[in-house]
Amino acid sequence: MPIDPRHVGRRYGPFRSTVCADQIRSFAIAVAGGSPGYFGTAVGDPHPWSVDDEAASRSPHGALVAPPTFGVTFAMKPFALACSDPELGIDLLRLLHAEQEFEHGAPIRPGDELTTVGEIVEIRSRGALDFLAVRTETVNAAGERVLVGRWTAVVRR
Amino acid sequence: MKQASDFHVGDSFELVREADRYRPIYYAAVSGDFNPIHIDREVGRAAGFPDAILQGMCTMAWLADACTAYLGDPARVKRLRVRFSRPVVVGDVVTFRGRCVAVEGPVVRLEVEARNQRGEEVLKGASAEGWLETV
Repeated sequence: MPIDPRHVGRRYGPFRSTVCADQIRSFAIAVAGGSPGYFGTAVGDPHPWSVDDEAASRSPHGALVAPPTFGVTFAMKPFALACSDPELGIDLLRLLHAEQEFEHGAPIRPGDELTTVGEIVEIRSRGALDFLAVRTETVNAAGERVLVGRWTAVVRR
Repeated sequence: MKQASDFHVGDSFELVREADRYRPIYYAAVSGDFNPIHIDREVGRAAGFPDAILQGMCTMAWLADACTAYLGDPARVKRLRVRFSRPVVVGDVVTFRGRCVAVEGPVVRLEVEARNQRGEEVLKGASAEGWLETV
């Protein structure tokens, strides 16, 4: 069964989250080939402004800044909820992440209090493939937009 | 830090990253994406792959790291766009080759190719936009 297009417009959120410095550091280290956590020693080659307080304090930002795709930690939730929404009935074994777009606004820093909302904006079929797209928008406590994401999954029928 | 005059059409940059056995697990821990297809070899096989597959978002994070290194500041990466054309499987090594295709005032446009060790494209149409006046 194709995904029913009547689910376009379905919304998820708002979800609140607070960014912490350790979370930014762990993310940057894990992505850069290092090992995060208590038993991690290798750091890989992350940008110093996302892991090193001293270097970041001398940067134009004055403190750590999140790497560009850090938004996955707070903005993926509406997409994940849509993909596993019982109303949509998707078999997760047949689902893959197909496309991703991010548009960043204000830099994301430790202490930021973020609010994310998401909405299913597209459901279409092409042959034996179904596509599901969710748009998310995240704002900080000052009301500045920090991230817009468009998350597209493909489901092999 | 690099200034606007340091960016030129035709500049190139490269980054190599490996999807070692632990990478999808580490990435799950820091991103929250614990979809079993990424952390359980048997589930990866049940889905038709030779092993667990890396989160597409981790491949995209590698792309972002390549662009960040070139632009000089994580906060300069303002737009990112990718199509995941082939899963990255545990054991794969991905090479990102980027180039600067336009410099328009404070905006630097980048296009990036990403191929596995067999030369197969794992991303298609990967592009990024850097803004040099972010602070």
